[in-house]
Amino acid sequence: MSFFGLQQTDLEQDKRKFLESGLHESEDVAVYTWGEDSYDGLGDALQEGGDELNDETFGGSGAVGKDFDFSNPALPEDKRVSHDAPQVKREQSVDKEPHQHQQPSSLRPSQPSRSTAHSLEAIWDDKSPFSVLPRMNSTSRASPAPSAKFSPFASETFSNAGQQSVLHKSNQPQPRVRTLQEIEAEMLQQRSAAQRQQEVLLQQRHHEEEHIRLAQEQELQRQQRIYQQEQQQLQIHRLLQQQREQQQHMRTPPPRMLPVSQSPRFLEHQRQILLLQQQQEQQQQQRLQELQEQLRFEEIERQMVAQMTLQQNPNQYASRRAVPNLTSPENQVLQHQQLQRRQRSQSPVTGSNITPIQDNMSYLPQNIQLQQRLLSEMTQAEYMRDIQGASQAEQEALRAEAMRKIVEAEKMEEKRRRKAAKIAHMARYNDLMTQSDKDFITRIQVSQLVTQDPYADDFYAQVYGAILRSRMGLQSQDERVIKFGSGGGIGLGLAQKGGNRRPNAMQRMEQQVERIVSNARKREEEKGLHSLHSLQGALGKTSGRSYKAAPRQLLQVDASNPSASPTISPAHAHISKSSNINESAAKEAAKLGREALGTAADTDNLVRKEPLTQREVLIILERLYDIVLRVEQLRRDQPLPEDDESSREWQKEYDSLVDELWVELRVMVPLETSHPHPFISLLTPTKGKKILPRLTRHLSSERMLTLLTLLVACFSQLDVIRQASVLDSNEDSREHADVERQTQAFLGSVMQSILPHVSNASLRLVTGLLGLLLDRSNIAAIAQSKPGLALLTLFLSRVEVIKQTSGSELAEIPSSEEQLQWQTMFDHLFELLAPYFIYLFPSTRAPIVVPPGHSNPADIADQPVWQFLAALALHAVIEQHQVLVTSLREKVLDIILSVNKGWVASEEERQTKLANVNLFLHALGLDSSQVAL
Amino acid sequence: MDPSASGIQEPFDLIRLSLSERVFVKLRGDRELTGILHAYDGHMNLILSDVEETIMIVDTEGAPDGQGTVNVAKRRMEMLFVRGDGVILVSPPSRT
Repeated sequence: MSFFGLQQTDLEQDKRKFLESGLHESEDVAVYTWGEDSYDGLGDALQEGGDELNDETFGGSGAVGKDFDFSNPALPEDKRVSHDAPQVKREQSVDKEPHQHQQPSSLRPSQPSRSTAHSLEAIWDDKSPFSVLPRMNSTSRASPAPSAKFSPFASETFSNAGQQSVLHKSNQPQPRVRTLQEIEAEMLQQRSAAQRQQEVLLQQRHHEEEHIRLAQEQELQRQQRIYQQEQQQLQIHRLLQQQREQQQHMRTPPPRMLPVSQSPRFLEHQRQILLLQQQQEQQQQQRLQELQEQLRFEEIERQMVAQMTLQQNPNQYASRRAVPNLTSPENQVLQHQQLQRRQRSQSPVTGSNITPIQDNMSYLPQNIQLQQRLLSEMTQAEYMRDIQGASQAEQEALRAEAMRKIVEAEKMEEKRRRKAAKIAHMARYNDLMTQSDKDFITRIQVSQLVTQDPYADDFYAQVYGAILRSRMGLQSQDERVIKFGSGGGIGLGLAQKGGNRRPNAMQRMEQQVERIVSNARKREEEKGLHSLHSLQGALGKTSGRSYKAAPRQLLQVDASNPSASPTISPAHAHISKSSNINESAAKEAAKLGREALGTAADTDNLVRKEPLTQREVLIILERLYDIVLRVEQLRRDQPLPEDDESSREWQKEYDSLVDELWVELRVMVPLETSHPHPFISLLTPTKGKKILPRLTRHLSSERMLTLLTLLVACFSQLDVIRQASVLDSNEDSREHADVERQTQAFLGSVMQSILPHVSNASLRLVTGLLGLLLDRSNIAAIAQSKPGLALLTLFLSRVEVIKQTSGSELAEIPSSEEQLQWQTMFDHLFELLAPYFIYLFPSTRAPIVVPPGHSNPADIADQPVWQFLAALALHAVIEQHQVLVTSLREKVLDIILSVNKGWVASEEERQTKLANVNLFLHALGLDSSQVAL
Repeated sequence: MDPSASGIQEPFDLIRLSLSERVFVKLRGDRELTGILHAYDGHMNLILSDVEETIMIVDTEGAPDGQGTVNVAKRRMEMLFVRGDGVILVSPPSRT
């Protein structure tokens, strides 16, 4: 061993030790140090068996021959052997004394000397690999001062007490709980010594205060210890949780996390997995922190309570301060004892053996720091209070304030943590898609949105938006459409309202779309420069529209291609051919009608036809709708007036469409072509009635007059007139409902569309129209229908208006001839209607038995009739008045009687009845109140 | 009118003619509807208003010698969406 630079003397010493140990040289194996204090007792746990043949194997039973005894004679001379020997001998000793292993205590007497002599040199000498073990054992296991370990508090109190005055010396040797007698004895003793100690008191008080502070510090430490203990449990819990969570995580990986090892983004995913794990750890820690905080909170509360007990005495402090000579010693003692008691009672844990675990400390710092800060603040405040003698109320307020602050801080903390956790959770999917992925998807979406006609494809949203805007009074004329020259565009739907994130998103989308489109266009241009479009579309079109293929197409009106639409077909060519033939005749007829000649068109070259079938009507109507939609679209696309070229073009297209519309309407077909007239047939379905207002907007007033004439001439052919009698029945049938629906549609659509033209008509025209009506139809039947009555009222009121304004200069003054014509026509009408006056009332035609308590719907239904009769009365002469009164006398009297007798269900009904009657009577210059019963 | 002239090129064009008209719809499960057709699509999903549904319920139980009695249940609805997969036929109502 000289080459290790160790001294020979060590070896010598060693040898000496071997020899000295005497009893067994094999004791060299004692490197195991079984007998030492630091022996870990593992030897006892050894399982040894199968030793029966050991003796035979090693020849242990007989005397050991010298054959294998290399060590003994070699010891003095051979250094090398001396090193090897212990190994062999150890084995031998094991053989010989197996029991010694199991009874290490028996070795003890011989061991201590060795172990104590365990110097550094001895270790160096020791070649056995095990030689180091006991030392490590001993260092780790050798506990310095066992008492200091588990009751630092106690020891500190000791030291504190030691610093303190004589008075406390009596307490010093008593770390245990003192009995009451002891305390009493002490108190007695102290009282006797009180006089002596007065001079020391000032100093003592100082000490006292320090003591309190120290005690609080101790408590703090104690809390830390409790904390650590709880921490241990928490850690176990945490570990379990972690495991569980990891398993969970393995079960539900986020999308695209699984088989991507070959993907170029694998690394990123790995990073994300790491991130995820970190997040999970964070979450766990957060959960832990929550628990910790809860603990801390409890701790603080406990502390507060402790302080309360402590502060029950500030009065005493104060009094003592005021009169220090009298009560201070007792007080002091009492307080001290109280303090100690409190400390003991509050720290049951300090008694038990707690070994703080280093690992847990890592979780503590911030909490402890916070805790300590809060506590130190509080203790300081308390200290200050003690010194300054603050009032109880102030203290209370301060404490409350402190509590509030703590709670607030914790709430904030909690909030923040929850938010962070949420964000972290959502961030799981961050960066799952690259920017190019997103762009790709946007491109696909945008390509789906691009259409040839953005406005029409977005029609309902656009129209609705326009309606909304006009309703809100906003005058933004822009259509919410992005257009890309001729290439098409994108409908943007409704304008977004509100200042939320949505508008931003929409704006972003718009910008993105514009960028994409402009990029695409640029690329297109470049391609055009380079490749002469030879390969364009070779790989198919990108902007497929397959997604909305079937359902939408059918209702779509493709303005650019008429043949694509099912009903716009070359058919109208052949129709207009036939109508062309008769055009002049029809014109003639209409003209004649308008001239109120009351004669049918000349029948020279009349082609009689079957009336249009239902199916034909429907087909024509579909075609009409197509044209109307196109015209409406055209109106929206009207170019600016400055643009002459396109304006003219537009006007041309518009005119041709309107012409087409006019032809399709078949107004110019001769009157007698069929019964009903084709135009009247077109008005039969609801949609035929409803298209009229949309259509008449585009017709010139000339054409409208023609239409009006035709309508009046063929009024009796209208379905609503023919089937008007259905309404007289009160049964609740489908037919009744249908006719009602048609009638409403007629009044709402057809009458509305002719109203402005009638109300501008001249007296001559009105006379002519009335004449036409009287001539061509059964006026009694017409007057018994709602639409007929409405039309007649319309005529009469128009004439009344003309009469009233005839004095003024603005209206064209009807000639006396015209007035005479009108009077003739009116007389004719009156004459025809006179026998039926009473039957004009729906209530007369179909008397309704109204159960009492219900308002009579007949009154409402009768209202237009009363209006008509009033209008009639206005035009009538005296003799006609008498006819009117005689025929309606009964009806009027009936109503007045029922009103006066109170045979009405409600005030409302009474009012309606009276208003009805008065409407008529006023026209005669009478009033219901004048009628004598 | 010949088909080309009328512009009827596919079956759906016939249904289009009946828009906003009363139609008769036969459905699977012995159901029939009459109502005013407002909209339809390629799946024959329909939107009808003022609908009367007629359900035939054949009651085979308790009837002698296999002769089930047919009960007819009717109900009315303001507005109805009919899923296309149940539609057997759509026709204009028979006119008398």
